[in-house]
Amino acid sequence: MTAANRPSAEELRSRPKVIEVDHLDFSFGTRQVLFDIDLDVREGEIMVIMGGSGSGKTTLLRHLVGLMPPQPGRVRLLGRDLGQLKGRKLLDLKRRIGVAFQFGALFSSLSVAENVKLPLRELTDLEERTMDIMANMKLEVCNLSGFGHLMPSDLSGGMMKRASIARAIVMDPKLVFLDEPSSGLDPVVSSALDDLILKLRDAMDISVVVVSHDVESAFKIADRITILDKGHILISDRVEAVRNSPNERVQNLLHRRSEQIDLDPTEYLRRLAGD
Amino acid sequence: MANPAKIFEQIGRRTIAGLDEMGYAAALFCEAIYWTLTGWRQRQPVRLNSVMAAMAEIGVAAMPIATLLAATIGLMLAIQSLYSLGLFGAEAYAYIGIALSVVREFSPMIMGILVAGRSGSAIAARLATMNINQEVDALMVMGINPVRFLVSPVLIALVIMMPCLAMWANLVSILAAGLYVSAELNQSFGAYLNDTMDILKTEDVWHGLGKAALFGIIIALVGVVNGSLVKGGAEGVGRVTTRSVVLSVTLIVVADMVFAYMTTR
Repeated sequence: MTAANRPSAEELRSRPKVIEVDHLDFSFGTRQVLFDIDLDVREGEIMVIMGGSGSGKTTLLRHLVGLMPPQPGRVRLLGRDLGQLKGRKLLDLKRRIGVAFQFGALFSSLSVAENVKLPLRELTDLEERTMDIMANMKLEVCNLSGFGHLMPSDLSGGMMKRASIARAIVMDPKLVFLDEPSSGLDPVVSSALDDLILKLRDAMDISVVVVSHDVESAFKIADRITILDKGHILISDRVEAVRNSPNERVQNLLHRRSEQIDLDPTEYLRRLAGD
Repeated sequence: MANPAKIFEQIGRRTIAGLDEMGYAAALFCEAIYWTLTGWRQRQPVRLNSVMAAMAEIGVAAMPIATLLAATIGLMLAIQSLYSLGLFGAEAYAYIGIALSVVREFSPMIMGILVAGRSGSAIAARLATMNINQEVDALMVMGINPVRFLVSPVLIALVIMMPCLAMWANLVSILAAGLYVSAELNQSFGAYLNDTMDILKTEDVWHGLGKAALFGIIIALVGVVNGSLVKGGAEGVGRVTTRSVVLSVTLIVVADMVFAYMTTR
């Protein structure tokens, strides 16, 4: 499966925005990690955010899911300003998004099925039987039917990620965030996970934001790719435009080339000696 | 030689860090109470089965070791009381010291130390592991308040189960001490119990149970605060678990003294 249903640029532009990030900056103490980030994601779009280690992609993701409040700047999800929402309204918005974390973040004391049912149990008044049906449906979509009784420690890396995705989609969200879904997986399992992401988008009509450093996976699933470098957006465009970008840093990242480090050996030794 | 400025700086930093933790614990306590009282109105009630599960783990599962400790404390007090009072021929009054010290001091404190070691460490380790595994982040993005989900049930369970354990320890200690004293003094066990019931007032029992509930709050908050402030991986979990036990036991002893001073003088 590939992104055969990839919408055209015009089609994407005509859709409403589900994420709008305006002039977002963020610093840890005196170290600035995000610089003036402007980004939007359209309804039904798969946006892949890429970048090397320390580029700020995880920090950006934490802002998008509301785990970090925007300092200067604004983040709007599904038309609501995250910085302005509090209490019940913020909870209502969070019920409409799903997040699958890099290492699954499944609760180790609960079985896989109980993990998937947790949002339903805690946030709805559904009967146990209905919750079972909904959880089993999502497990089936994620190719995990029959594994609900297992504990998270019994799962392989790929199964853990799929269980995490099943939990993220159990409330039928409009927007799903996936943090490094293919990290630590072999190419076959990683490719199957890409297929699952495409299937979910098409079947559930959801928008998906994927944070990844897997170039192949990004080209396969993305409608648009955003590349971060040292906290700045290098490029945010459709897959072909990114692939053919003349920007050297973009090409370095796509072809996994390490950057040339301009270092004067004399200066380096002088710094080592503490002069 | 150490630089005095550095020493003052260290003292200042640690004082601020300590005050910061105390403020965080107070905020957590208020938030846990808030969610317990108002969670149902926001369709996020503190689940009864979570509280019951925590009560079973903290209280019921601790019964065998609590019984053993309480019986040992009762016997130890009986032996020491008979020895010390025997120095001036007052063995017959041993029941007074045993009853009052068990009910007002030993039961709540020993149960506090037991639960701090057993459950306080488990609370800190669980919270720390959940933090490291991003499980707390997962709760937050799901819209599930972590204080309501993780802290309130444990706090309620400890505030209920600590007095229950202390009451159980009262019974076991007094019975164990009674068996020893009545056998040593050739006195009937019934007479010993009668004397004990005569000397104990309701306020003595409430004094001990009140302290036990206070110790429950201390154990819960110290465990949760340490678990939440974890840094690093498995090593960090080990560090906060140890710190949680040491801090809980220290605070229990200090709080015990302050409580006794304020309510006994």
